[in-house]
Amino acid sequence: MTAGLDRAHRETIFVEEAEVLSHHHLEGDQHILRVQAPETAHHAQPGQFAHIRCHPLLPMRRPLSIMRTDARKGWVEFLYKVVGEGTRLLARRVPGERINLMGPIGRPFTLLADRRQPLLVGGGVGIPPMVFLADAMRRAGGYAPFAVLGSEVPFPFRARPSAFQVPGMPEGVIGAMPLLEDWGVASRLASLQGYAGCFEGYVTGLARLWLEALPEHARAQVAVYACGPHPMLEAVALLAGEFGLPCQVSLEEFMACAVGGCAGCTVRVRTPDGPAMKRVCVDGPVFDAAAVFGTD
Amino acid sequence: MQADDADKLRLDFCGLPFNTPLVLLSGCVGFGEEYTRVTGFTHFDVGAVCLKGTTLEPRLGNPPHRVCETPAGMLNAIGLQNPGARYVVDEILPRLPFAETRFIANLSGSTVEEYAEVARIFDDSPIDAMEVNISCPNVKEGGVAFGNDPDMSARVTEACRKVTDKPLIVKLSPNQTDIAENARRCLEAGADAFAVINTLMGMAIDIESRAPVIGNNQGGLSGPAIKPVALLKVHQVYQVCRDHGVPIIGQGGVASPEDAIEFLIAGATAVGVGTGLFYDPLLCAKINAGIVDYLDRHGLATVGQITGSLVLNDEGGSCAGG
Repeated sequence: MTAGLDRAHRETIFVEEAEVLSHHHLEGDQHILRVQAPETAHHAQPGQFAHIRCHPLLPMRRPLSIMRTDARKGWVEFLYKVVGEGTRLLARRVPGERINLMGPIGRPFTLLADRRQPLLVGGGVGIPPMVFLADAMRRAGGYAPFAVLGSEVPFPFRARPSAFQVPGMPEGVIGAMPLLEDWGVASRLASLQGYAGCFEGYVTGLARLWLEALPEHARAQVAVYACGPHPMLEAVALLAGEFGLPCQVSLEEFMACAVGGCAGCTVRVRTPDGPAMKRVCVDGPVFDAAAVFGTD
Repeated sequence: MQADDADKLRLDFCGLPFNTPLVLLSGCVGFGEEYTRVTGFTHFDVGAVCLKGTTLEPRLGNPPHRVCETPAGMLNAIGLQNPGARYVVDEILPRLPFAETRFIANLSGSTVEEYAEVARIFDDSPIDAMEVNISCPNVKEGGVAFGNDPDMSARVTEACRKVTDKPLIVKLSPNQTDIAENARRCLEAGADAFAVINTLMGMAIDIESRAPVIGNNQGGLSGPAIKPVALLKVHQVYQVCRDHGVPIIGQGGVASPEDAIEFLIAGATAVGVGTGLFYDPLLCAKINAGIVDYLDRHGLATVGQITGSLVLNDEGGSCAGG
C-alpha cells in the first residue's frame, strides 16, 4: 500500500445476500420490503440507498432509498413503487428468498446543529428517506422536526389524527403518519386526491402555511430536507430560497454501477468553478438545493 | 487465493506484469479507485485498470439519461466526461496505488493532433500503458468515426506511436466492415496490442414520449447481449495478431468464468470486465477462481496456455472477414 494516500472511501459499501424477512403489498402498487442485511443496517445513514439486484436475470440493479434500519437486529426496510420491469420483479420476491444488495451508498443528509426545527418534505417514493431522517433526528435529540408528506396514490400507511398541534394548519388537516407520531415527530399529509384529513394541495402549499405561521425566531431554526419528484424538489428549493432557508434535496437518476465508476447517473450542478456533472450515486444523492436548481 | 494459484494467473502483457488476465474496462471504473469502495474488492484480482477516456481539455459529457437497461445488457452514452489530461496526470495519477495493479490511460480526442497531445502528456507520467480509444460511439467528432475508417485508425495510432514508447493498445470498434483489416493497418502503424471490442451502437425508445431514452439519442450497447459478437471479433483479430505475438484484451459481456475462458480460447491474452461489475462488483475474484479450476481440470500450468486454443470444426464455415 502506498503511504500517505487518502483511502477513507475504501470498503464503505457492502455486498450482502439479504434474506427477505417480510414483504407487504399496499395500494397503488407500493411495497414495503424488509431484508436481513446487517452491514448495511449498521452503517446506513439517512439519505443513503442500496443497489438491489431485483431479479437474477436482469443485467442492471435498481437503487432504492433506505426507509428504516435496525442496527441491533440487522434489518433494513425499503418502501418502493412499481415503476418498471425491475421493481415489478422485485415485488414478487417472497420471505425466505435472498436478494443481493450493495449498501449503504451515497452522501447522506447533513444534520445542522444550529437548525433545530427542520422541515422534512417527502413526495411519493420520496417519503422513505424522510422517515429515516426523522428517526435519526429523534435519536440525535434536540431536534423538533415537522414532516410534510405528499402522495397522489393512497398513502403507504393508514393515516391517523395527529396528537400534535402544528402552527398554520388549516381546519381539518389532522392526518399524520402513525410511525412518526409514535416517535414523537409531527407530520401532516398533502394530496390532490381529497383523502380524509389531508391538505388538498401540494406539499409546498402546506409547508408555506407552516413557515408563515412560525414566529421569526423559530423560522431561523428551520432547515429544509426534501426527496421526491423533480418538479416537487424544484418547488421546495424555490420555497426555501424565498424564506432564506438552507435546503438539501435527494435526487434520483438512472444508475448503473452505483460506486462512482461509470458516470451514468450524473446531474448538472453549479459549483464555484462553474457548471459540473456530479454523480448521483457517490457525489449525491443528497445535494445542496441551490447547486441543483440555481442558475449557472 | 493460494500462492501457487496466483502464479497460474500471472502473465506478461507487453512487458507489464499482470496479477491476473482480467482488465477493468475504461468507462466502468472511473479513474481507478471507485470500486475499492466495495468491501471484498481488491486491485490484486486484476491485471490492469483502464482509466476513464481522457481528452486534452475537460469535458462535461452528455445530458441525462446516460444509461438504460436493455435485454441482456445496457446502453450508455456518457460522452467522455473527464477533467482533461493535465489534471489526470497531475492530480489523479499521484494518488493511484501502482503497487496494487497496472493502470492504463484511455486516450480520446476529436482530431489526430489531440490524440497525440494527450499521449504526449501521459508519456511523461507513471502510467503503465495507453489505450487509444478510436471507437467511442458517443461523441460527435472523432471516436468511432476514426475507428471505422482503417486509414484514420492507422493515422491516429501512428501519431500516438511517435510520442511514446509505452505500450500502445488500440481499442477496436465492432461497428465496421472488416475489423481484421483495421487491426492489420494499426499493427503496421505501431500498435502493441488490441482491445476487442468497444460497444455496439444502439437505441432504446420510450413509446409514450416517442423520444429515445438516452439523452444522446444513441448509445453504446454492452453486457451479455454482445458477447457472441465480441468473441467472433476477437477470433478474427487473433488471426492477424498471432504470428506477431501481439496480445489482445478480449472484452464484451463477460459475466462469468466461462465467459472469460471463451475469450481466452478465441485468442485473447487478457479479458476485459466492464458491465459485469455493475451486476456483481465482486465478479473478478469469482472469474479468477473459475479460471484456476479450469486450468486444474485440464492439466494446464498457466492461463497463457488457454490463449488461442480454439479448435475449429472441420466442416464449419470460414470465420474470416467482418
